[in-house]
Amino acid sequence: MTASHTRADAEAGPSGTRPDAEAGPPGARARAVLGLLARRLRLPNQPLVRHLILFVLGAGLFYVLTVNVGAYNDYQIGEIAVYAIVLGGLSVLTGLNGQFSLGHGAFMAIGAYTLALLQLHADVGLVGELVIAAVIAAAAGAVVGVPAARLSPPYLAGVTLMLALGLPQLSAQYGSVFGGEQGLTTTPPAAPGSLSPERWLAWIQLFCALVVLVLLANLVRSRFGRAFRAVRDDEVAAAVSGIHVARTKVLAFAVSAGCAGLGGALLVLSTGVVNVGEFPLSLSIGLLAAMVFGGAGSLVGVWWGAVALVYMPTWSTSLSQHLSLGTSAAAYLSDAFFGVVLVIAMLVSPAGVQGGIRRIGQLLWSGGGVAGLGGPGGGVATDRMDQETKERSRP
Amino acid sequence: MELFVDILLSGVAQGMVFAAIALGLGLVSRATGIVNFAQGAMGMFTTFIAFSLLSHGVGYWPAFVAALALGAVLGAAVERTLIRPLQGKPALNPVIVTIGLLIVLEGVAGSIWGNVARGFPAAFSQRGLVIGRTRVAFSHFDVFLVCAVVVLVVAIVALFRWTNLGLRMRAAAFSPEVSRLLGVRVGRLFTLAWALACAAGSLAGLLVAPLSSFSPYYMDLNLVYGFTAAVLGGLLSPVGALAGGLVTGLSIAFVGGYVGPDLQPIAALALLLLVLMVRPQGLFGTSEVRRV
Amino acid sequence: MLHVEGLSVRYGPVRALESVSFEARSASITTVLGANGAGKTTLLRALSGLVPSHQGTASFDGQRITGRAPEAVARLGVSHVPEGRGVIAELTVDENLRLGTFVRVRRGERRAVVDEIYERFPQLRDKRHRSASTLSGGERQMLVIGRALACRPRLLLLDEPSLGLSPIVTAQLMATLRELTTGDGLGAVLVEQNARSALSVADWAIVLNLGRVVVADRPARLAADADLRRHYLGF
Repeated sequence: MTASHTRADAEAGPSGTRPDAEAGPPGARARAVLGLLARRLRLPNQPLVRHLILFVLGAGLFYVLTVNVGAYNDYQIGEIAVYAIVLGGLSVLTGLNGQFSLGHGAFMAIGAYTLALLQLHADVGLVGELVIAAVIAAAAGAVVGVPAARLSPPYLAGVTLMLALGLPQLSAQYGSVFGGEQGLTTTPPAAPGSLSPERWLAWIQLFCALVVLVLLANLVRSRFGRAFRAVRDDEVAAAVSGIHVARTKVLAFAVSAGCAGLGGALLVLSTGVVNVGEFPLSLSIGLLAAMVFGGAGSLVGVWWGAVALVYMPTWSTSLSQHLSLGTSAAAYLSDAFFGVVLVIAMLVSPAGVQGGIRRIGQLLWSGGGVAGLGGPGGGVATDRMDQETKERSRP
Repeated sequence: MELFVDILLSGVAQGMVFAAIALGLGLVSRATGIVNFAQGAMGMFTTFIAFSLLSHGVGYWPAFVAALALGAVLGAAVERTLIRPLQGKPALNPVIVTIGLLIVLEGVAGSIWGNVARGFPAAFSQRGLVIGRTRVAFSHFDVFLVCAVVVLVVAIVALFRWTNLGLRMRAAAFSPEVSRLLGVRVGRLFTLAWALACAAGSLAGLLVAPLSSFSPYYMDLNLVYGFTAAVLGGLLSPVGALAGGLVTGLSIAFVGGYVGPDLQPIAALALLLLVLMVRPQGLFGTSEVRRV
Repeated sequence: MLHVEGLSVRYGPVRALESVSFEARSASITTVLGANGAGKTTLLRALSGLVPSHQGTASFDGQRITGRAPEAVARLGVSHVPEGRGVIAELTVDENLRLGTFVRVRRGERRAVVDEIYERFPQLRDKRHRSASTLSGGERQMLVIGRALACRPRLLLLDEPSLGLSPIVTAQLMATLRELTTGDGLGAVLVEQNARSALSVADWAIVLNLGRVVVADRPARLAADADLRRHYLGF
């Protein structure tokens, strides 16, 4: 272990790429198999084209998924998509840039209130509303990112924690603008033809999620992505090789906050209302836990995290009924679950669900050469992305 | 003028609570180099246990002492089971563990006691004292609160300055390896530091519970104000924690009184950022390098 | 008194010590010599329990010390003075010395033990209430050796005590060491880069190269061997 390796660990925390980085030959073999698999699937090597193909595949998959479910499930699928966006941003911040945030609920709130205010006072259309919400949240992220870039982990944790607690309260202070405790209402977009509004909204949310994840995947492969990783692995070395460390960290924070803002805006389209109670501290911490659960730095893992965020309250309701704890206990059990995830993840440092799947895949490939279709279509490309990340991160 | 005095007095009382939290954060930070974000939640949990004891007919003082003792036990247990195994790992890992613990404790407390704001009894009257002809916003309970925290700070200072145990604790914090070579059982002292810190957190929880709406989340804001106080005070010295607590308490009180209570967290954040950017060793810290 | 048998230490794949065996007697100085990276510091750290040993044993007065925690080894009477001084700069001189007495000195005798150290190193008495960070290099060396003595040890493990000291101070240090190890049965293992002065005081010398003992002999014989001096001792 060289100094820069340990440093990378320090910054990245539960980085999804870490355990496999030591794998050596089996890892290389898995990589070769993955490459072969990608070629066999005729996935071209240009990242943009490949990501677009995956985008289309994902869209098809979700289309099939949504036409087979009811309205309530439409709502939940849309919610999953929303959290995938937020977690994607968080994952890039932590897994790629080595920063983290306990305050992403606050950026979601910024996006949500921006959308509600735009619907109330301006007529910019849905696309305009979403873009402006993301941009304003990103700007707020840049503002927070400037001091955050200079703070060591405990202080960054404290500052973002305060942001998560303090920012939503501003809406109570300026009640005439933000609607006080009641909050503001939002109108979901009108559905075309005979489509149910829930399904139409779920499609919009899924479409946005796929667009954002493709953009993030391309960002990861770009010059900026390389700079993110360089800063994560060794700030001094990055600075020496001409990377503006502080600017890179601020950019990562802004991108991440922008994703959270977009997610927040899309979320309140479903709920129909924005108020302070929707963005408690436990949401912010839950986001961090879900990101760790999926595997930091993995853009496929964000889906696992998003599923956990959406279904955990449901599961804990049935669990608390099972334990006859009363229904009010359910929400708390779900929070406690995410806390336990964080604690366990730190104690045993796994690479999250996605890391586990990847490891099983690698064992299969390096063991028996059983080259089946490894997981959903997106898995291949992101695995390759992470593998390449890994190569570059070696000193 | 009366408003000013009342704000000043309530700021002092609040500041003492923040000082107790900052003291605990400093003890842990000094010993194990991390910030325990679960400290507020741990204090919340033990205060809820005191609440249960009270509602089962146990007297105030036995319940008070039991909560302090439980805080110490909880702190020691957390250090042994969750923090010790992470020794030598990146500093971020134990910090995230404490954050996980924070929502676990809140979740467990919520499912046991429910998320309803209750009242927690105070040891003494909470009616304002009458000075001259006016009733000020400072009660017998506030007097007790201030005294309790001052006693805590003095006790910790005395422990560090004048006892062999305190000397060993300082040595273990500054230079664990050298201390071990001298036969000092560093691990036990770290556990002790956590126990003391969490007992201080419990004290803060018990003292602030009657002043707030008592729910599983009532310590969240107090914790971040305590964190601000700790950073202001430089995280190392108990006296710094006291001073940091007072500055934070007064700032919060004045923002709350003259601008609006909902701006208090953001004001504290601004104060924290200001200190971190301009004077990272804290307003009252010496030039000693902080372990971050 | 110290019996080391086949001791091996690995840092991952790197073999830092490979089957090292030697003995150190009471009332004598055993010096461990060798180039940078030969494994001298690792040897001391393995003996005091700071790094785990991979194979082999070390026993002190018949009690196995490998596998024990550093504080447990220290409690048996083995005082390791680490390289780079090891003063606790945040404490005062007096506090540093008192810290040494907590384990093996009875409560009532601690003050007397610290005063004894001040008798031996009067310069320290003058600065007793100053922060240890204000001391000069030589004074720091006095302080750490004084603190190790305040532990009432039976074996001293000294890691490069002469590092950064002037020749005169080094000579004084070696004389002090000689004096300490003749009277009351105190033994010492002295790791040194400065082979010439170490050989001048030691009773027995071993030379490490790449983690192995290459020579173990009386100091005079080592100093007389020109080849050995050129290859391993650098003078």
